[in-house]
Amino acid sequence: MNPQPLMDGLISGSMIGLGAIGITLTYSILRFANFAHGEFISWGAYFALAVSGALGALSATLMAPLGPFSFGWSLPLAAVGAIALTAALALLVDALLFGRLRARRGSIIILVMASFGAALTLRSLLEFIFTSQPAYFTNALQIALRLGGGLRATPDQLLSLGVGAVLVVAIHLLLTRTAIGRSMRAVSENQQLAGVVGIDVRKVIRTVWILGAGLASIAGIIAGLLVQIRPQMGLDLLLPLFAAAILGGIGSVPGAMIAGLIVGLAEALTVQLIGAEWRAAVAFVILVAILLLRPQGLFGRPQ
Amino acid sequence: MKGQVVLSTTALVAGYERDLPIVCGVDFAVKAGELVVLLGPNGAGKSTLVKTIAGLVPVHSGSMSLDGRDITAVPAHEKVRHGLAFVPQTENIFATLTIEENLLLAADILPHGNRRRRIAAMYEMFPDLATRPSLRAGQLSGGQRQMLAVARALVVEPAILILDEPSAGLSPRIVLDVFARLKAINTAGVTIILVEQNVKAALAIADRAIILVEGLIRHEGLAASLADDPIVAELYLGARHSEKVAAR
Repeated sequence: MNPQPLMDGLISGSMIGLGAIGITLTYSILRFANFAHGEFISWGAYFALAVSGALGALSATLMAPLGPFSFGWSLPLAAVGAIALTAALALLVDALLFGRLRARRGSIIILVMASFGAALTLRSLLEFIFTSQPAYFTNALQIALRLGGGLRATPDQLLSLGVGAVLVVAIHLLLTRTAIGRSMRAVSENQQLAGVVGIDVRKVIRTVWILGAGLASIAGIIAGLLVQIRPQMGLDLLLPLFAAAILGGIGSVPGAMIAGLIVGLAEALTVQLIGAEWRAAVAFVILVAILLLRPQGLFGRPQ
Repeated sequence: MKGQVVLSTTALVAGYERDLPIVCGVDFAVKAGELVVLLGPNGAGKSTLVKTIAGLVPVHSGSMSLDGRDITAVPAHEKVRHGLAFVPQTENIFATLTIEENLLLAADILPHGNRRRRIAAMYEMFPDLATRPSLRAGQLSGGQRQMLAVARALVVEPAILILDEPSAGLSPRIVLDVFARLKAINTAGVTIILVEQNVKAALAIADRAIILVEGLIRHEGLAASLADDPIVAELYLGARHSEKVAAR
C-alpha cells in the first residue's frame, strides 16, 4: 500500500485538530456547540489574505519566498494581524449575540440556533466582500521533499505540522501551568463556584473566544496555504471539527489534536482504500460511532 | 478590629425571581470576631440569604455593607477581593483540579509573594491536605472536601467567612471534627457566619444565633440562651429539640 495517505492525513488532521481545540474550549466553558466556529476559520484565512495583500502592495520584498517555503514575510506578519482581527470578530459576535442570550439565560438550544444564524451571516458577508471565487496566498509551486519510507511532503506542509504540534503543546501548558488556564478549567467545571472563588468569569469567557478564534484563524491560514481560500472552507471543515472535538473528549486539548489527526488519517485512508466520494462520510461515521459507543470521547470524563 | 461591625444588611429583599422574594427584608449585623449561626426551618431563606450576600442571588431592594463599604451591587468575584469568603453547601470544590490547584485558584488574587506563604499556612492548618497536594480533589472524602473548601476560602485571609451547611452529608464524627476546626478558626480571629440544620452542634460553637422564618428574622440572641429557650425551640427549631430542652 502507498504510505503517502498517512502523511496527507496527518497534515489535514493537524488543521482539523487546531480548529477542534477552539470548539472543545468553547463547548466546555460556554456549554454550547458553536456552529459559527467554522466561519472563524474562513474569516481568519480571508483576513490574512487581505493583510498579506496590503503588505505586499506596500513592499514587494515582503512577498519574496522565505527559504524553502512558498510565501514571504507578508504571510507570517499577516497571520499576526489575522489572529487579532478574528479574535476581535469573535468578541464582537459574542457581544452582539451570544453574550446577550447568556444574560437572558437563553437555553442551550437557543444558543445553538443562534450560532447557525451567525454562521450564515458571517459566510454570506464573506461571499459579499470577497466573492465565492477561490483565492490563494501564493501561486508559487512547491516540490515535495522525499522523507523516506515512501513519504513526501512540501516544506509548507511540514511547517504546518510543526505549527500544529507547537500550538497544541503551548495551549496544553497554558491550561495546566498558568493562572488563566486554571481559571478556564475552573469555569468549565463550575461557573458559579468560580465566581465565588474570585475568578472574573466574563474575563475567562473573553479569553476563550480569543484563544478559540485565534486557533481557528491559524487553521484557516494553513488550509488556505495548503489548499485554497473559499468562503465555504469553514463549513466544509465543520463536521470533521466536531467529530474531532467529541472523539477527543470535550475539554481535552491534547484529545482534540489527537482526534483531529485520527479524523484526518481516516479521511485520507478512505480516499485511498474506498474512494474520494466517501471522504466526507468518514467524519460523520466517526461522530455517530463515538456518540453511541463512548460519548465522553477518548480523553473525556463521563458526565 | 474586634467588636466593630464587619457585615451588615439593611431591609434586604432578594430572590431568584423578581416577583417572588425569598429574603423579605432582613436587617442584621455581624461584629468582628463573632461566630453567628443562622438557623430556621427548611425553606426559611437561610441559604438564599447567604448566597445573596455572596453575590449569587439578585438583590431586589435594600443594601449590604462589608467593613463600611457598600457591596450591594458588587459582583461575586469582586466581593472576594473585599474580604468576603463563601463556602457553598454542595459542589464547593473543583473536583477535576488537584488540591494544590484548588488552593492556587483562590491564591491567584493575592500579590505574587503572598501566594505560597498562604498555601503553606493552609497546609499547616489542614495537614491532611498537605500529604497529597497533587491528588484530584474529586478523590477526597466528604470531610476532606469540606476542609479543602474551607482552606480555599481562608487562603485569601478574609474579613468574614460564610459557610452554608458545612455538615451536610457528613457522618456525625466528621461533623464534630469540622465544627471543632471552625471554632478554632474563629478563635484565631476569623469572623464566621454559619448556616446550619444541625442546631445542637451549631449552637454549641456559636456566640450568637439568628432565627430566620419565611425570609424574615424572627428571633436573635446569644447562642447559649437560645439553646435553652423552649419556646424558641418549639417555634423555630422543631418540637423534638423542644422536648429535649424540656427534658434537661
